[in-house]
This record gives sequence, C-alpha cells and structure tokens, in this order.
Amino acid sequence: MDVTEPHDLVDKVMAELPEWLPAQRWFGGKDRPVTSIRPLRAVVLRSEEPVLVHLVVEVAQPDRQEPYQLLITDHVDNYDATQVPELTGALLDLIAEGAEVDGLRFAHEPDVELQTGLRGRPITSEQSNTSIVFGSQYILKLFRKLTYGDNPDLVLHRALRQVGCEHIAQPLGSITGRLDGHTTTVGMLQQFMPDAVDGWAMATTSVRDLMAEADLHADEVGGDFAGEAQRLGQAVASVHADLERALGTQSANAENIERTVRAMVSRLDAVVASVPELRPYVPALREAFEQAKETPDAVAVQHIHGDLHLGQVLRTVQGWLLIDFEGEPGSPIAERVELRSPLRDVAGMLRSFDYAAHQLLVGQPEDHQLTVRALEWSRRNRAAFTEGYAEAASESVGDPRKRGYLLRAFELDKAVYEVAYEHANRPEWLTVPLSSIARITGEGAVQS
Amino acid sequence: MQEEARPDAALVGLENVPHTGEAIGADGLLVEPQAEDFRSAKLVPRERDWFKGAVFYEVLVRAFSDSNGDGTGDLRGLASRLDYLEWLGVDCLWLPPFYASPLRDGGYDISDFRAVLPEFGSVEDFVYLLDEAHRRGIRVITDLVLNHTSDAHPWFQQSRIDPDGPYGDYYVWSDDDQRYADARIIFVDTESSNWTYDPVRGQFYWHRFFSHQPDLNFENPHVQEAMLDTLRFWLDLGIDGFRLDAVPYLFEAEGTNCENLPRTHDFLKRCRKVVDDEYPGRVLLAEANQWPSDVVEYFGNAEVGGDECHMAFHFPLMPRIFMAVRRESRFPISEILAQTPQIPDGCQWGIFLRNHDELTLEMVTDEERDYMYAEYAKDPRMKANIGIRRRLAPLLENDRNQQELFTAMLLSLPGSPVLYYGDEIGMGDKIGMGDNIWLGDRDAVRTPMQWTPDRNAGFSSCDPGRIYLPVIMDPVYGYQALNVEAQLNNQSSLLHWTRRMIEVRKQHHAFAEGDFTDLGGSNPSVLAYRRRWLRPDGHEDVVLCVNNLSRFPQPVELDLSEHHSSRPVELTGGVVFPTVGDLPYLLTLPGHGFYWFQLVEAGDDSEPR
Ligand SMILES: Nc1ncnc2c1ncn2[C@@H]1O[C@H](COP(=O)(O)OP(=O)(O)OP(=O)(O)O)[C@@H](O)[C@H]1O
Ligand SMILES: [Mg+2]
Repeated sequence: MDVTEPHDLVDKVMAELPEWLPAQRWFGGKDRPVTSIRPLRAVVLRSEEPVLVHLVVEVAQPDRQEPYQLLITDHVDNYDATQVPELTGALLDLIAEGAEVDGLRFAHEPDVELQTGLRGRPITSEQSNTSIVFGSQYILKLFRKLTYGDNPDLVLHRALRQVGCEHIAQPLGSITGRLDGHTTTVGMLQQFMPDAVDGWAMATTSVRDLMAEADLHADEVGGDFAGEAQRLGQAVASVHADLERALGTQSANAENIERTVRAMVSRLDAVVASVPELRPYVPALREAFEQAKETPDAVAVQHIHGDLHLGQVLRTVQGWLLIDFEGEPGSPIAERVELRSPLRDVAGMLRSFDYAAHQLLVGQPEDHQLTVRALEWSRRNRAAFTEGYAEAASESVGDPRKRGYLLRAFELDKAVYEVAYEHANRPEWLTVPLSSIARITGEGAVQS
Repeated sequence: MQEEARPDAALVGLENVPHTGEAIGADGLLVEPQAEDFRSAKLVPRERDWFKGAVFYEVLVRAFSDSNGDGTGDLRGLASRLDYLEWLGVDCLWLPPFYASPLRDGGYDISDFRAVLPEFGSVEDFVYLLDEAHRRGIRVITDLVLNHTSDAHPWFQQSRIDPDGPYGDYYVWSDDDQRYADARIIFVDTESSNWTYDPVRGQFYWHRFFSHQPDLNFENPHVQEAMLDTLRFWLDLGIDGFRLDAVPYLFEAEGTNCENLPRTHDFLKRCRKVVDDEYPGRVLLAEANQWPSDVVEYFGNAEVGGDECHMAFHFPLMPRIFMAVRRESRFPISEILAQTPQIPDGCQWGIFLRNHDELTLEMVTDEERDYMYAEYAKDPRMKANIGIRRRLAPLLENDRNQQELFTAMLLSLPGSPVLYYGDEIGMGDKIGMGDNIWLGDRDAVRTPMQWTPDRNAGFSSCDPGRIYLPVIMDPVYGYQALNVEAQLNNQSSLLHWTRRMIEVRKQHHAFAEGDFTDLGGSNPSVLAYRRRWLRPDGHEDVVLCVNNLSRFPQPVELDLSEHHSSRPVELTGGVVFPTVGDLPYLLTLPGHGFYWFQLVEAGDDSEPR
C-alpha cells in the first residue's frame, strides 16, 4: 500500500462522496438529489499510516445546505473510519486526555476518569448518527448531520446529570468543533449499558406472546407488559421532574397555546393535501385541536425529550433509562429547543404503544380477533403507562388524564405527522396512524 | 398439683427407647441420651469445600420408602434407595426433621432433640442410613430448629412446673404480654400475639411461631450450651451438617423487631466455632427468608472467609425464575442477581426451584414486595399459585421443555442446586383434585415417591388403606405411568435427562465455584451468562449458558469479544461450534431451549472437558 498524505485522502474521498454519501443509512437528505458537496474543515488526527482525518462537509441540495461529519481513513477497504476498531480507540484516548487538535476539542466531563486503550466497535443497529462502543463501558455518538451550537442531547444530559437523574446513561465527555463561528457539538460520550434492551424489543416481545394466545386476554397472558409500562411511566415523569428542577418551568399563556394549536392545524392542512385518506377525519381533528385551548388551568412548559418513543428508552437491570435527547431530527433546531409541554412526550409514548401493538399485523391479511387483541394490549399498556406517569409527575405537570383535551390533541398531532411519514416511506403502515385517528376522534376525550 | 407429672409425659411412643427426661438426676437435671450410647457412622473422606459443588436432594423420610410395611416411609426405607440416589448423582441429602415430635408443625415442633420419631425408626436406624450413604459418598444433613421447641419437650414441661429449677429460665417468661411489642407476628392467621399465657406457671411465654412452640431463652447460657450439645450429639454420630431453621429470631431486645440481632449472630459464630474446632468439614446452612443483602450477614465476617453459616438459601431467586419465563423476559432474574452481593470465599448459596413449602413472596424490602406483588397480582395465573404448595411439573403445566429449561438454570446459576424428591421424574401434586379435598394443602407435595407401577407405587407393601397419603392416580401424573422404573427403562425420560445434566455439571467446576457474569444482549427473552473458574493447571474453565425464556424460537447476538478465537463446545454432545470471531456471536435457540458450552481457548490444547 502506498503512503497516503492526509490531503490526498481528503481529495480522494471528496471525489467519491456524491455516490457514497446518499447510500448511508444516516444521510438525512435522501428525499432529493445532492447538487454539490464541499469540504468545510479537515482536521488530521493521525498523520501516520493508517491516516485518520476528521472532515466536515457541506452538502447542498435543492432548498437546503447542511453540514455532515465524517471520519475518514485510508484503510484498505473502508474510508469510513468509524467502522475501524483500531482507529476509533484514538477518539476515546483524546477525550480522556482532554486534547485539542486544530480547533477540535476533546473533553471529559468534570470529575470523570476514563479508562483508555479500548477498541471501538460500531453498533450494528440502524440509526441516524453513528455510535461506537468502547469495551463494555462507553458509547460515543458521533452526530452525522450537524447543527450549529450546543447539541440539545449534550445540554440536557449535562443538566440531568447535575441534578442526579437516575434514568439516563450518564454523559462522560464530548467533542466540539468550530463551525461557521459557532462552537458546535460533534460527539458525545456516555456510559454504555451492556445489559440494555430497548423498549421496542421489550414491548413487542409482550405483543407476540399475546398474539399467540388467541383466546386469552391481555391481562391473562404471561407476557403481560403492564408492570413494565407503569414503571416506564414513572421513569419518564421523573426525568421531566428532573429537567424542571435543572432548567425551570414556565406557564404557557393563551397566545402560546393559540400558536401551538395553529401549528397543529397547519400541519393537518399540509398533510391532508397529499394524503387523501386523511380527509374524512379532518373535521373531527380540527375540533379536537380547537378543544385543546380549553385548558382548566395554566399549562406548564419546560425542556422535554422531544422525540420520545419506545425506541428511545432502555430497560436495564437498574430500571428504565431515556436516551437520545436530540429532539425530532426532522424539525428545525429552533423548534427543538423551545419550551414545550411534557405532555408531548407522554403523547409520543402513547403513540408508540399503539405502534408496538399493531406492528405484527402490518402487511398481514385482516384478522378481526388479532386486531381486537392488539387494541386490548394497547389500551392496557397505555393506561398503565399513564398511571405510572401520574404517580411520579411533578406538581406543575400533574396527572395527564386531567388534561385530556390537550393530551389528545398532542397525540392526534403526532398521528398526523405519522400519516405523512408512512405515506411517504412505508405505505402499508399507513393504516396504523389512520386507525388510531379514527379511534381517538371517535372515542372523544375526558376532560376533568 | 402437676408435681407428679413426669417431664417426659407428653412424649409419645418413646417408652422403650432412650429419650430426654426418662429420669431426673440428683441435681434436678434431665437425663438425656448421649452419643456414646450409640454406634457412630464412618465418615466420608474429609473435603473442606464439598458443599460448594454438591447437588443436594431434599427428601421427606415419610414419603420416600417404607421398609416395614406400616404405610409410612422410614429411615431404613430411605437407606434401601440409596443406590438410586447415587446413580442420579446426588451428593447430599437434606432431610426435614425426623425427631420426636407431636407433628403439629410438620416435625418442626421438636419434642426431643435426641430421639427419632418412632414411625421413622430409631437413632440406630439413622446411623445405619448415615453409614450406607457415606459408603456411597453421599452426605446427609438435616433440619435443626434452634429457636424453639415443642411445648411437649421435657424442658418446657419442667420449665412450667418448676420456675426455680434448672429449666425454669429455659424459655422466655413474663408476667405480662407487653414486652417486645415491635416484633411482628409471623403467623397472623393463627396467632394473635407473640405471648401466650400458661396457666400452670401463671406467666406468659414468648413464641415467634405457633403458641405450641415456645421460644428458647438464648440469654440463658445453659440454653446456649444445651443447644451446642444438641449439635454435638448428631455430629458425633456422623451427620454432615444442619440446615438451621428460623435463625433470625434467637434473641429478643426491647425496641427492636427482634430479628437479625447482633447477639443472634454471636451465637451462630459459636455454633460455627464448634464445627470448625471439633467437626471440620461439616456444614451449617441458614434458613433466613430474607433479602440477599440481609442474608449475607449470616455468612459472617468476609475477611476470614465467613465465620457463621457456610451456606444460605437464596429465596427471591426462585419466584423470579418463574416470573421471567412467564414474562419471557430475563430482567426478573438479571435484576435479582445484580442485587445479590458477593459472599465470603468459604460460602455458597443454596438455590432451588421447589421445596416442601409454598411459593412465597415473603421478601423483605418493601420495594421488592411491591414489585413482585404488582407483577403477580396482575396475573391471575401466577396469583393463584401464591401461598399454595405445588410441584414443578404441574406449575409448568407438565411441559417437558420448560421442566428442562428450569432444571438447566437450577444447575447452572450460581449456588448449589437443591432438588426436591420426585421432581426428577416430573411427579405431580394433589391440588385441585375434587376427590382429595380432605388432603390438606401442605400435603399436596408430600405424596409417596412413585417407584413402580405396582401397588402403592412400590413405596410400601402395606394395605393401600393404611398408606400415610394416597399415591397419585390421575391419568397424567398417576404412578401407573409415571414412576422411576418406567423412566429408568426409557433413555429419553426426564429422569435420564436430569441425571445426564447433573453429570455434565460435575465435569465443570465452573458451575460450582466459577464467577458469574450476566452477558446481557439485545434480546430480552434470552438470558445468557458466563461462569468462569481458574483451574489448578492455570487454564480457565469457562462455561457459557444461554437460555431462551420464550416459547418462540429466538436469535441472540452475544458479545464474546473477551473470548475472541475460542471454540464453543456444546457440553451434552461435544459438538464444536463456530469459533468466536470479530462479530457478535450469533446463536439461535428453539422455544424454551438452552445451551451449555465450554469456551475452549485457542491455545488450550487440553481436551475439552
Ligand atoms: N448508553 C447506552 N447503552 C446501551 N445502548 C445504547 C446506549 N445509548 C444508545 N444505545 C443503543 O444505540 C442505539 C442508538 O442510540 P441513539 O438513539 O442515541 O442514536 P441515534 O443515532 O439518535 O439513533 P436514532 O436515529 O435511532 O434516533 C439505541 O437504540 C440503543 O440501542
Ligand atoms: Mg435515537
């Protein structure tokens, strides 16, 4: 192999990126063509063989220009250095040292001592960033699509650590760079939970059990999930309470609520324009959104998770943890850092229970019995989750069931978003949010 | 008025055998049988840590084999079945109490520590059993209740009639029933107070259990000596140890809950010292139905490897194994093991799936009780099994795969496994059988061992009407189809399978003393763990156990990066699996399936064992 100069490597990679980048799972711009890619910054982390270069490129597409983070090498068969265990170990060592290389700052959190010399192994599950596990202790998330400034994932994790939150994987370090004059988070190191199972796997294990027992009810089968759902509700409420303690809470005024409802309505209008299947529910949806304004007393807004679903929670032997506080990756950063009602997270989780219940039925011939079972599972576990949440909710948030209209509106808003997503990406799943919308609007909400 | 009542008046059937209180010495002390009065058994060659790898077998003398045709199992009958137990691979028998007793609490109400219940035989018969067992390398331990005696015990009889005599202070007496008000009442269904008035002595006596079981007064040094001498009596005869029953309650102190008091631990240290100094190689096993972090106290000082009990039962593990399989989730098991502290070097847990007691959720931290009750209470089928006695097979709906999975976990999780007699052939119980309403629930799991399809299941030659409990006769669990003889003749029977697994377990000391690591993994239905033991030859004996808790086939990817280049060798068949490489190790398991592997290091050329 001939020796590659870091600059040659960058040139070589840049030439191949237009083809390579859109094929990556984490590339967020698959919906439109890439018009051009230009390098923004290259930092050489290792100049001897094999070379390791940190590269930020700007990807131009019609209507958008977005920075992406790459880690490249001249390793024979892989330019993507995140996949090369011998190389990624260097990132951990740099964080442990607290090194700064050409404007790229590696830091560990105060009073954290890191073990070094571990090989890095990329996780195999699909994700929108790239995470690397070191030994069985640490996990480093390299954000792929970068947003200027501090990443909310790091900000919220730090705040939660400060108040001693028990339901997170502790943040241990970070990597920051300068981008267009902004200090920008490009990576976060956290405690890795080797025994963790994500909530989606836990929940679908239970659903599978129920579906195999056609003649038993959800509360009778062995795989009952209600106990877990309830403890999960408690964990989510306690994270909300910790976020409130760390970063405060405010009362939303009528204008805020008005604006929130307006956003829901305009999302509905946009989605219904491209998904005709949604049309029959529009009047009921509009009414439900309007009703959200009728709140009996002040609505608390605070920092929340922002993209909570069963895939963002981990069951460990210590209990449930929440991960990935980045917010909904699709929405603009300004919206993501806005103070919002914690009930949005509750609604996100409720939607996720619905999805977990129905996922085995997608693409299968209609089976009334199984549909009834799925609904039963969803009801039981949504109720248990909400119950758990209410048990541990802070005073400012209170029992979500006492804010039936608002919670329902958040849930429907989320379902409308899902309709758009499924329509564009997975048409056979469209029935899941649509049938939820039909059911929720048909059942009405209880406002106490 | 009671003056002429003999101290042994309440002992039944002991007229012609030596017993406590058959005479009173000039000093007012009761004459008691001495070990020298009997022949003693030859011991198994001494081996300090034998209990750490031993397979225990709980057997009820009454239920196993009847040698004299009176319808009740006995010590000689048990001795006649030792070849079977040796063949099965049992290392140690645990016998629930076989002492003289009015049997108002299953024999745990002991009326003479130095006499055998006549229907079971005699002290000589016990020594015979010991000799026969030891000859086959099988050890024997039995229950000993330190905390209390039956009210029929001559000590209590003397104590109530002669407050100033040598036994006057053997029990905890009081003029009123107000002391120790913070101690909970254990048997709330039958007892309203821990104090009962005795009209003979005109005082109240203290009892943590039933009112017919007065607590001994351990404040009295003579009581302590008397109980140590009780230990010595049986140890001199050759017994291999004791399961000490109800240990947390020996002492009382005002303002405490009277459990786990420091002085109780002090006394256990004295017991241990007697064993270490006078009877090395024998064991003490604590029965303390408490949370593991509290139970470890009963092992004593970790710095000296433990100086109280050698073993203690791990109670919360058992209901959690059931819950994990029911939920198809490893977390109930992983959590409890994560909360189980390290134990001193010289100690070992005893673990079990079933015993003669009910499936209890009696666990000590509130959090755990809430957790378990919340889970069980939500599930009618699990709830129905709480507080009643059931055998393993019916608890698992006679599903062979699950019985094997449970037994495989019992034999591979950390601790010495305790099998319950009959579970090795999948015996049934007597719950929910209309024709047996009269059979009290505690007897449901105490029916005669099923040896053959012959009359009385080969248990006894008596007239079937005289048998102590009818043998099970239903179509599934009945003795005609389900018995030792039939399973011996069938190589694929549960009995042969169980024997084979015990054999495999014994080939790998990692199962006995290896450290335990939960391997986690992304599939919640698969419980995978590693047991690792440093062999004396310097090589590691590493065993990997993978259990599918789900009834559906499951894949699992395990992080075996620490064992890169090792070859997994399946332990029951010796098949070599693909070498561990860079990627997570992929295995697929059938529903309720499990694997045991040895991980053979790349450089280790020694034969896989
Ligand atoms: N601390 C942790 N311990 C164990 N596993 C973790 C941990 N953090 C993340 N994971 C695993 O990595 C996966 C991806 O993590 P994360 O959600 O933070 O990344 P992401 O790129 O934002 O993913 P997505 O695009 O799915 O939101 C998780 O689903 C989880 O399985
Ligand atoms: Mg995520």
